[in-house]
Amino acid sequence: MAMMVSTRIRLVAAAIAFLVLATVAAPVTAQQVNPTADAVKEQQLLEQFKRIQGLGTIPDIKSYTIEQPQGRQWRQYHEVYMPWIGTIAMLGMIVLLLVFFLVRGMIRIKAGRSGVNIVRFTGFERFVHWMTATCFILMALTGLNITFGKVALLPLIGPSAFSTWSLAAKYAHNFLSFPFTLGVILIFCMWLAGNIPNKVDVAWFKRGGGIVGGDEPPAYRFNGGQKIVYWVVVLTGTIVATSGYLLMFPFYGTTIVGMQLAQMVHGTIAVLFVAAMIAHAYIGTIGMEGAFEAMGEGTVDLNWAKQHHSLWLEEEQARVGPAGLERQPSATPAE
Amino acid sequence: MRAFLLACLAIVIIGAGGYFFVNSMQEPSGVAYTTTGARINTSWAWRSTGIKEPVTASEECDMRKPWGWIFVDFGKPRRESAVCRISQ
Repeated sequence: MAMMVSTRIRLVAAAIAFLVLATVAAPVTAQQVNPTADAVKEQQLLEQFKRIQGLGTIPDIKSYTIEQPQGRQWRQYHEVYMPWIGTIAMLGMIVLLLVFFLVRGMIRIKAGRSGVNIVRFTGFERFVHWMTATCFILMALTGLNITFGKVALLPLIGPSAFSTWSLAAKYAHNFLSFPFTLGVILIFCMWLAGNIPNKVDVAWFKRGGGIVGGDEPPAYRFNGGQKIVYWVVVLTGTIVATSGYLLMFPFYGTTIVGMQLAQMVHGTIAVLFVAAMIAHAYIGTIGMEGAFEAMGEGTVDLNWAKQHHSLWLEEEQARVGPAGLERQPSATPAE
Repeated sequence: MRAFLLACLAIVIIGAGGYFFVNSMQEPSGVAYTTTGARINTSWAWRSTGIKEPVTASEECDMRKPWGWIFVDFGKPRRESAVCRISQ
């Protein structure tokens, strides 16, 4: 009797197991498509393999790719993620700086202006800086038009004007890349020696760089913050230039996938670059008293130099002597 | 200010140089993204298939008006070279 019950239990268990297996296996069997069957539909093949293969006779093998699945991910990136990254990076930086300005205000020259100016940047240095900066601003505006133009500008100016502007912006973006690249190369060579990180920079960061708190740590010609800006310009400038030229010259060593990757890298790095340069422009203008004069006229006030770049000032005084160092703004020989 | 103006001048000069450089390297997108096997040769005609004489681009040919195409096989345009005839 016990044997019979045990046998029945085993049979019922086996039946349940068979039913479960049949239920799980049924959808898998139903999804399988024979790709060589005469009546197979393309849609079924797409769903099954995510691609359709065949033979092409046109010499240009690039034309064989009728639908590229990676293109959907690329489109999703530059239509959805890219605007979000750009918005958060740039607006976030502006809001951050606004809050900082409201809390900290302009960093003043504590000892006041001495009335004596010293040469900070030569005419050639300022020429290179402004050539790169002007190209950067124009390329940022024309580049952001690609990401934000359809949403921000098109509804305001209409399709005809937007089309004309976008075409001109595209050409400007392309041709400005050459002086911009030259500027980045010159900046790299011109200021490399002064931008090698050292122990002074570590101490400068530890003491808040004179920006956070009232401390004024010593610095050579370029402080830790300026060195970060330098390397951001050199590295991100190199990345955006390289990825941009890959896009300017299609299929010169790249494929469609390579260009999609280049576009994503170009756009992402560029918006981060813009956000970083907004901070640079802030500290060089309204963020710090006397800072713009360095790039505007080439000279800075002696007390400004003592406050922000005391080690550089000592070096300069040792090199040329106090008489050779001090120059009046009207007699700047930098140009 | 002088450094900035000089920088602007340099941008214009280098940018213009870039324009000519890029134009010498790039092709129109209609050409760049297709090959000769996929392009339509507008100078091709059935009549040219039987003629071995090469068509040179240096000669200027009269452009036919749309109505002229109706009589293209019957007329011989005046002062037109043989090269132009085979190209149409």
